[in-house]
Amino acid sequence: MALIKLVRTFAVMFPVVVVAFSARGADTVKLGLIEPFSGPIAAVGRDTLEIFEFFANEVNQRGGVLGGRHIEIVPLDNAMNAEKTTQQLRKVIDDDIRFVSQGVGSNHALNIIKFLQRHNRRNPDQAILYLNHSAVTTSFTNELCSFWHFRFDANVDMKVAALVTQLGRDSSVQKLYMLNQNYAYGQAFQAAAQQMLAERAPGIELVGDELIVPFGKVLDFTPYIAKIKAAGADTVLTGNWGPDLVRFVKAASEANLDASFYTIYAGIPSSVAGIGAKDGIATRLKQVTEMHENDPLYDQQPAELLDTYDRWRQQTGKSIYSERMRWTIEFFAAALDKAGSDDPALVAAAMEGMTMDGPAGPLVMRGEDHQIIFPMVISTMAEDLERPYIYEGDNYEVAFATDGWIMSDAIELPTSCEMKRP
Amino acid sequence: MESFIFAMFNGVLYGMLLFLLASGLTLIFSMMGVLNFAHASFFMLGAYFAYQISEGLNFWAALIVAPVIVGMVGAGIERWGLRPVHRYGHVAELLFTFGVAYVIEELVQMIWGRVPVPYEIPDAMSGALFTWQGFDYSIYRVFMLVVSVAIFVALFALLTYTRIGLIIRAAVSDPIHVATLGHDIPRIFMWTFGFGCALAGVAGVVGGNVLGTEPAMAIQLGPIVFVVIVIGGLGSLGGALVAALIIGIVTRLAIFYDYGVGSLVLALGLEIDTAGMLRDFTRITTAQVAPVLPYLMLVLMLIFKPRGLFGTRDV
Repeated sequence: MALIKLVRTFAVMFPVVVVAFSARGADTVKLGLIEPFSGPIAAVGRDTLEIFEFFANEVNQRGGVLGGRHIEIVPLDNAMNAEKTTQQLRKVIDDDIRFVSQGVGSNHALNIIKFLQRHNRRNPDQAILYLNHSAVTTSFTNELCSFWHFRFDANVDMKVAALVTQLGRDSSVQKLYMLNQNYAYGQAFQAAAQQMLAERAPGIELVGDELIVPFGKVLDFTPYIAKIKAAGADTVLTGNWGPDLVRFVKAASEANLDASFYTIYAGIPSSVAGIGAKDGIATRLKQVTEMHENDPLYDQQPAELLDTYDRWRQQTGKSIYSERMRWTIEFFAAALDKAGSDDPALVAAAMEGMTMDGPAGPLVMRGEDHQIIFPMVISTMAEDLERPYIYEGDNYEVAFATDGWIMSDAIELPTSCEMKRP
Repeated sequence: MESFIFAMFNGVLYGMLLFLLASGLTLIFSMMGVLNFAHASFFMLGAYFAYQISEGLNFWAALIVAPVIVGMVGAGIERWGLRPVHRYGHVAELLFTFGVAYVIEELVQMIWGRVPVPYEIPDAMSGALFTWQGFDYSIYRVFMLVVSVAIFVALFALLTYTRIGLIIRAAVSDPIHVATLGHDIPRIFMWTFGFGCALAGVAGVVGGNVLGTEPAMAIQLGPIVFVVIVIGGLGSLGGALVAALIIGIVTRLAIFYDYGVGSLVLALGLEIDTAGMLRDFTRITTAQVAPVLPYLMLVLMLIFKPRGLFGTRDV
């Protein structure tokens, strides 16, 4: 198994190099993908690239865009260093790439938004459009909103709105404990949750509200678990991700804490792998996503989409996790065709207000702030499901089962965006 | 009072885990003078080997075999890597171990992938041993404590009372005389380094399933291990133990007694401005800064007592 992974590591690495240096045909529409392809979280960047290339290829196989042109994904490594993201944007300009995508890390997204705001104002003939597939800082579609930025993921406030709505429905939730990472994202999660709990679930008592030093600095979560237990909480709400989530959940399980865990990111591959079936099920671990493979609506999707999913699983040995990345490609392709041009300004105009069918309701790219709106689903980790979670060929034996859908009207939040259009 | 004792007990549990992590590092430093930057990487190797072995056999086999393999790897690195570098002095050694840390991290990612591996606490020990203040202590927590104490006692006895310990200590202070007596100094150093790495391996086996086994674990654990040995005094085994316990207890107390800066200022009878420039500062609580306290202690220690609590060497 280890050897297979070694081979696979190389197999994944080589296309990055090969594609990066392949001949740049004039007939392709290039989409630069700026993500970490090296360094400690390169796995996330490579997963993203694999999804983008797969679904861009799907569009190309269907006949491409703009009457036969292909979408070409150009990977650009930022090594999770915000300065390198800026360097890669300069390369994007030099190589005359007019569309970029990024999503891992809101600080990188902020860099791109600010950089392009300035660049596009000064160089309207060489404007670049940014498709944000996963960076969730709410202000990107509020006070920092930009005509050149489109977001295909729900922002933090929307995800919290979905989680809190579900908390309000769950009659077993009486006493809630919040624990978040003490930096921009965790604080935004905390503030949104405080406000929405008061509005949407006033019956729930908030018995603890804690911020921790983020990014793996906390090695041992047992004192926090002891505080949660002492506070008598029956439910935990956390925006934690990475080791801060994995260690938190494992410590809770080890101490037999009898509480449900409401999270955003429990379902990403590294979380599922790190937490494992036993601890995830013991803590009734929940996630909020745009879709998951074991939802009853899965089989009701169009037959060709289900075929595509099957091919994805066979080809990559991975479960479907990020629908939002597929949506990014699909919206991009549709907007190119609708605009009838690869001029970023026209493509951006075409994308405003665009809708597509989602699994539980329409996906709407709201024109006023470029924030996508769609129904979200809360699900809990469980065993014995039809499609257990697979990643790089390993079967984790668990997956998620639906608790309930939160429709768009409960997720759509007002925006303070005052968009300046060119 | 009972919650104070509760916090103290948790602090001791956590402190002993830190000691376990730092024991091999302080051994290598005190016996060889080598500041091994790759120490946390050997810890990571221990965790990954333990995962692989416990997949095939079981946890107990991993507890024996994984540290031995890590020790052999460490000895090999000393023999063919560190020894040739030794003559260029401590800075070269330090840079060498720095490089080794990166190489190990990349190798681990190539072999086991970049996502965490599911290395779990053995089922037999995941049950609760006792419950205190409504908090279940698993058998495994106590097992970790026992392993840490056993390692300290064994190390202390080995260095103080055995012939091997005597030779090792003599080889440090007076290598020429020891060599004249017919002892092979490079060989002693090789096995000391290997043994220190094996201790990191033990910590990896025991701690990897609690902390999570992933490629970034070495980078995350590296700094705190250095804090332990610097506060304790470079090269002092007892110092590392005391420092680890102090860090464990202080951070636990800070989390349990969650005082805010604002409330402390009010308690001193001073007026406080909660809306002005110091707004964010007054909202800080001790629980939020708990993981940073060890580094504050490190800075203060270097200013006021650069040799650490029980150190005999300068940093």
